[in-house]
Amino acid sequence: MDNRSLRRKSLSIPELIAQNWPRLLSGLGMTVEITIISLVFAAIIGLVFGLLSVAPQKALRAIALVYVDIVRGTPLLVQAFFIYFGIPMALGIRLDQNLAGVITLSLNAGAYLAEIFRGGIESINSGQMEAARSLGLTYGLSMRKVILPQAIRTMTPALINQCIITLKDTSLLSVIGVVELTQTGKLIIANNYESFKMWLIVGVMYFIVIMILSKISKQIERKMSYGKNKN
Amino acid sequence: MGKIKIKNLKKTFGELEVLKDINLEIKEKEVVCIIGPSGSGKSTLLRCINALEEATSGTVEVDGNDITGAHEKINLFRQNIGMVFQQFNLFPHMTVLDNICLAPTALKIKSKDEANAIAMGLLKRVGLQEKAEVYPGQLSGGQQQRVAIARALAMNPDVMLFDEPTSALDPEMVGEVLNVMKQLANEGMTMVVVTHEMGFAREVADRVIFIDEGYIVEQGPPQEIFANPQNQRTINFLNMVL
Ligand SMILES: Nc1ncnc2c1ncn2[C@@H]1O[C@H](COP(=O)(O)OP(=O)(O)OP(=O)(O)O)[C@@H](O)[C@H]1O
Ligand SMILES: [Mg+2]
Repeated sequence: MDNRSLRRKSLSIPELIAQNWPRLLSGLGMTVEITIISLVFAAIIGLVFGLLSVAPQKALRAIALVYVDIVRGTPLLVQAFFIYFGIPMALGIRLDQNLAGVITLSLNAGAYLAEIFRGGIESINSGQMEAARSLGLTYGLSMRKVILPQAIRTMTPALINQCIITLKDTSLLSVIGVVELTQTGKLIIANNYESFKMWLIVGVMYFIVIMILSKISKQIERKMSYGKNKN
Repeated sequence: MGKIKIKNLKKTFGELEVLKDINLEIKEKEVVCIIGPSGSGKSTLLRCINALEEATSGTVEVDGNDITGAHEKINLFRQNIGMVFQQFNLFPHMTVLDNICLAPTALKIKSKDEANAIAMGLLKRVGLQEKAEVYPGQLSGGQQQRVAIARALAMNPDVMLFDEPTSALDPEMVGEVLNVMKQLANEGMTMVVVTHEMGFAREVADRVIFIDEGYIVEQGPPQEIFANPQNQRTINFLNMVL
């Protein structure tokens, strides 16, 4: 069989997978890579702005509020276009699409994580901060040793949920040309026209990764519940 | 000689004047019990002594340190002022031992080993050595409050503040906490105790202060306050609680 007859004949799903496996895998690799890198930056941004949003100083809280509102008030797609096309145009520079993608997702997830951090911190009884401060601990030490460790435990489900959302959001980066899993699917289909089967394969690949992530997260959650209450 | 000196202390929350003009001097080793109706400002007064509440005007001095204008230094001053809360406020994510060791180690005052040794000594004092490795959630209320006292003592404070330390406890656990406090008083700790335990006040206090509507209405040795109150409001309050 030569190439042309191959293309005309409809392939089975296992055949499609076998044929495109290296590309699909590299697309998935890019998806995972961008997700992880973005989440690392987002975690830092989220922690910083989450702490700002509960700061005793009004001005600091206002800064956090503006950032979160801007991100929440605009679509991710517009944010990606703005960062990939808009800013480089205004500054007269060229931005690599992967870098633009990472910046977009970091800023986007960072805002949602900031809200998760704020919620987590505010869920901790104010008596905890008072007890820590009454012992002579500074505000920063009290946060680090007493409030955040407890807040992060209560935040765990929301944090993992945000990881999954960010992983899915990487698919939107296909519009700025990032060759992650969705873009890979598009490119393959442009060759073989197997739209139904290919999107099924791509969908299942996302699904499997996210299921694995959920399973791991359940394990973490279980491990994190400390000294079970007596009553 | 005054360990705690409070002068013209006022505290308002928005429109609400909670402390109107408090003047109070507490001597070293003195045990002062503060009594008064709900909402009279007892907790607020206590919390002004370690600046958990910022005074609106007036001054609070502890050991000659100006608490009200302390700014950054307040953290240093607070190391010398232990506080015990009605709701214990133990750190639920740490073992009993770590609760007690947190402040001395995080503030780099003691090494981990030193702090552990001190903590075990304190747990022995409050009768809970065998609970060092458990989490607060596994303790009864009375045990939690005794750990909270040990935690405050780990900083080796000169002054201890107690805000209704037994009010959240089941009746059968009140005694064990009061006993620890009595022992502390006997050892010469300067103590300010907001309490509804009139028996404790009568037995342990050097002075009882009755607060109502943001003023110190009456004060004196417990025998006098309880047996022969002068002010009508004190009489009414004592009739209600005794
Ligand atoms: N952070 C705050 N903001 C606004 N009002 C407050 C605050 N803290 C206390 N108050 C008010 O100040 C008054 C005195 O409160 P405080 O807690 O000092 O009373 P208390 O004498 O300790 O009463 P209780 O016996 O019920 O504990 C109350 O009316 C209370 O509602
Ligand atoms: Mg009170």
